[in-house]
Order: sequence, then structure tokens, then C-alpha cells
Amino acid sequence: MGIVIDEFYQSIPKRGQEVCGDNVEIIKNDKETIVVLSDGLGSGIKANILSTLTSKIAVGLIDKKLPLIEIIETVLATLPICEVREIAYSTLAVLRVNRNGKAQIIEIDTPSIFLVRNGQVKKIEMQEREMWGKTVREAEVKLENDDKLFMVSDGVIHAGIGALLDFGLGWQGFARHLDDVLQHYYNLKDIVEKLVDICLAYYLMEPGDDFTVLGLGFREERSLTMLSGPTQSPQKDEEVVFELLEGPGRKVVSGGTTASIVARELNQKVKSTFEYHDKAVPPIMKIKGMDLVTEGLLTLNKTADYLANHKQGQLYPEGKDGAARLVRMLLASDYIKMIVGRAMNESHQSLNLPLELGIRTQVMNRIAKSLKKLNKEVEISWY
Amino acid sequence: MDEITIEVCVGTPCYLMGARELLDDMQKLESESEGKIKVKTSHCIDDRCEKAPVVRVNGEVYQDITPDKLRKIVSAKL
Repeated sequence: MGIVIDEFYQSIPKRGQEVCGDNVEIIKNDKETIVVLSDGLGSGIKANILSTLTSKIAVGLIDKKLPLIEIIETVLATLPICEVREIAYSTLAVLRVNRNGKAQIIEIDTPSIFLVRNGQVKKIEMQEREMWGKTVREAEVKLENDDKLFMVSDGVIHAGIGALLDFGLGWQGFARHLDDVLQHYYNLKDIVEKLVDICLAYYLMEPGDDFTVLGLGFREERSLTMLSGPTQSPQKDEEVVFELLEGPGRKVVSGGTTASIVARELNQKVKSTFEYHDKAVPPIMKIKGMDLVTEGLLTLNKTADYLANHKQGQLYPEGKDGAARLVRMLLASDYIKMIVGRAMNESHQSLNLPLELGIRTQVMNRIAKSLKKLNKEVEISWY
Repeated sequence: MDEITIEVCVGTPCYLMGARELLDDMQKLESESEGKIKVKTSHCIDDRCEKAPVVRVNGEVYQDITPDKLRKIVSAKL
């Protein structure tokens, strides 16, 4: 089971500045997620350019799988020299997580990352080494379901300097506030926003430095496997039912004929129900071991309509009908495997259904397209 | 008098051809029947989809049915 990452961050510029000198870059591909936080020297546009350059170069090189030593060398060699201080300088915090939850953390001149596990704030033990006069901290961690990580720039650790605190909030001080916020908030966005508010309060709403709070939430990937439609060659029935059972996550069967095939192969019975919750959607069925069994075409077309109009972050439909249930299950999944039989359903031929309603491949493609738009990973095998 | 069991097919073709109206009507009849009538659903009866909607009353299959026709069949058996 893979790990899925949700992220949210907020960067606040120093008082009087229009842009923030901190920069965050996030790259996601099939295999891993790379997050880079960089804080440029000083503040304002110069710092912004420095940190943007640093994070863009770093994230690009990491994505190309270059060794760490070369990445740091390149970043240091590329940065322009600050006229005032005659140094090229920018901090770097890198997090790289693969789908199994294996994470690599690299930090240069940046506050240590905060790990939240089982509701407790922890410091990750790091190994230090010297490179081009810089102390590079490195660690590898195996992330678990429900872990959270928080990366911050030093403006957070220094919150309060020049205002409420002589020496700033410090790592422990921020950890205490993080611990407190976690007691009251669960949503990552709420947590980050609350932490930013706290830092702003220490600065008396006039930050003496740019600061960034970046939160990352990890959870196990949720998957769903669905089977719909009889196969073109009935001798494949056993194969598709096996593929359904072996598929990841929750199991959905869509279609009366399909339900009969599944039940037959599993030596189970299809139990019909007659609760109507939506006039346009026939009642659901039940097969032992399956999470949802629905009627086919009408339910699928209604599902496709729902999904086509759904926007990320919108509330899920609340109905108890087969289509609403299927929509909720699909939206709650990160990975969806569809096994689709393409046999002409003879029972539908007498009905003169409109072409687009009657063709299973079309409705399944519509559903897959909408799900992909919502950032779901969808795989279809046709039979 | 024996109990009457009515199975209404709610597969896609039957549903499109009026199974919902049949089911609504039969559920009304069931609640008035003081336990004499039992209504169930089925996802396919006898593969007679081309003559939808299809119902089964005490094991006997009827096709191309309407609520009126079904009421007549049921009252004949009561």
C-alpha cells in the first residue's frame, strides 16, 4: 500500500516587503514527491530571487536523480553573490518521499524538521557532515500512516525578536505551539494557518523576517477496484472475477449481469434490495465480500454526471442511492482500477437506448476522465 | 389462504420499462394486505429482458406487465 502526501504552506513576507524571500517548490511524479524549502539571504526581491533559484535548481537536480554532493555543489556555484554582504547565500531544506513512505531529509542552515507521530511532536535524529564549508544534516525516516511533517524557515524560530521575545520563539517554543495546535485542529490547512497566526502574533503583526510554515500530511493510499460488464468471451469470467478479488482496496461490482457472474464464481447469492433513494437510480444489490453492488448503466451514467460536475474540495453527494454511494467511494480513493467487460448486453438491445447512454465503454471512459481531472490515478483493463 | 410472494425485477431494462411504478404499487398493496402479500426485488427474472418489465408471482413469471395488470393477477390469487 502506497503513501499519499497532502501538503499546505504559507509564506509571509517581512513587514514592508511585497514578496517573500522564502520559496517552496514541490514536484510530484509517479514514484516520489520532492519538497524544497529555501530561504534567501536578506528579504525582499533579492532574497526571493536567491531562494527561487536555489529551490528551482535543487528540485530539478533531485528530480534528475543526481547525487546530493553534486546538487549542493551546483547550487552553491550558481547562486549570484550578494553585493552588500559579498556572499551567495540561501538555506536549503529538502524532503524526498517515495511511495512506500521512505523519506530522505537534507538540511543546510535551516531549522530542523518537526515530525508529528501519534500526536507527539518529535525531532528527527540527523547525521551531520561538512561540505564546502557548510554543515549538511541528513536523515532517513520511514513515514507511517497519519504522520505529519512541518518544515519552517528561520523566521519562524526567530518569531518575536524585536517584538515580544528577546531571543525568539526557538525550536522548542514552536514545537510547544505545534503540540497545542494539534490538540485542536486536524486539517492540515487549519494547522498551518493557526501556526502562521501564532508567529505573526509574536511579531506583533509586523514580521521582522520572512517566514514560511509548510505542513505535510501522510496517509496510506486508498484504492478501489471495480468490475462492470460481461466479458466478450465468457470463458474469461473466472479471470475477471479473480482480477477483481486480487485488485487493491474496496471492491465494487456494477451491473446486474456482472453481479450474477461474480456471485456464480464466488459461490454466493446476489441479494436484491428495494430501497429507492433516487428515482433515477435502481436499488443496490448485495454480494457477500463486495463493498458495493449496483445496477449498471443507469447508475453509471448518473455517477458520470455527478463526477463531471464535481470540483475538488466540494462536499460529497449525501444520497443513499447506488450512484451517490459509488461517487463517494470513488472520490475517497486515490487509485482506481476498473475492469470493464465489453460484451454487447443483449438484454439492452430491445430498449432503443440513446447511443451514449447504452455503451458501457463510453460511460466508463467518462467516469475515468473525470476522476483523472480530480487527480486520481485510474487504470482500466478491457475484456 | 396462502401468502403471495411477488418478485419485481429491477434490472436495467425492467427499470427503464416501469419496474419502479410496479414496485411502488405493490408495496402499497403489501402494506394494505395485513401480511398476505410479500414483495421482493430481483435483478433478473428468467432472462426475459426483451419483454420487460418482468415479475414473478408465486413462482409464475409474467412479462410486459403494468400495475393494473399485476393487481388483477394478484387479486385473482387472493
